[in-house]
Amino acid sequence: MLEYILAKYNFWIYVVLMMIGLYAMMGKRNLVKKLIGMNIFQTSIILFFVSIGVKKGGATVPIIMGHGHGHGQHLIKVADYLNPLPHVLMLTAIVVSIATTGVALATLILIYKRYHTLEEDEILAIRKDPSSYKTLG
Amino acid sequence: MKNWFKLISWVAVIMTGALLIYGIHDMPAWGDPDSPANAHVSPRYILEATEKTATPNIVSAVLADYRGYDTLGETTVIFTAAISCLFLLRRRGGKK
Amino acid sequence: MIWQLDLFLLLFVIICALAAINIKDLLSAVIILGAYSFFMCLLWAEMGAVDVAFTEATVSAGVGTVLFVAAVFKTVRRSKD
Repeated sequence: MLEYILAKYNFWIYVVLMMIGLYAMMGKRNLVKKLIGMNIFQTSIILFFVSIGVKKGGATVPIIMGHGHGHGQHLIKVADYLNPLPHVLMLTAIVVSIATTGVALATLILIYKRYHTLEEDEILAIRKDPSSYKTLG
Repeated sequence: MKNWFKLISWVAVIMTGALLIYGIHDMPAWGDPDSPANAHVSPRYILEATEKTATPNIVSAVLADYRGYDTLGETTVIFTAAISCLFLLRRRGGKK
Repeated sequence: MIWQLDLFLLLFVIICALAAINIKDLLSAVIILGAYSFFMCLLWAEMGAVDVAFTEATVSAGVGTVLFVAAVFKTVRRSKD
């Protein structure tokens, strides 16, 4: 059993990270905590995709060496370079995730302006019974 | 009611984690150079990128040349996010 | 690809994630989320994804933390859970 876990230990750790993010999105009542959970969730999935492109056995970063110097015919071997495709896709995903976070934070500020709280249960109570709304000056 | 809610979310999280751990069983070994993700599309990019785009950095070549429209769509997404942030946070009732 | 360093960074990432979720002060949670992003960036640089590491360090750990801190300053700092 321990050998079975140790053979793919990093996948187990990604699953644990994703569970932390999912729990923060579902179980926490504070809206900022929910957003932090969403960030953790996204980062764990990006980490999973990046780790797919890893090649063992002497592969380096996907930048062709010896380009432009000497003009010799360099023989490019596929096993010498990491898989560049997950890196490209995850570059897009990181930028989109920060755009999502920005819009979510703007909505959060609007929610705070209207309800003067960030706790989900208090917001739901105010929506159910508007007389419990306390103004902050 | 609060504990009930936390219990439900714990159950959902653990079920999702169990499904994912069940899925790990079928993953290829970590860092395998012959895994399907490393063996199918990416060798073509690695072999042809320098010759076709004259860029030593394969990631930049794929991002800006092969998948240029993808990057254009990404820029559109950021632009939309910036515009919606501006509209959400603008000062209301300035004219009274 | 040094697996000891890999495991070490993964453990730090998990510790940062748990701390960011469980701290009641929102400003501390947000700063710990920035530390989480930097550890993630180190992890990716260690895996060989240098472009992704650069983007994470500037966009997610830099701009994201600034956005979160600004939002916390405009709203409330305490949280109940």
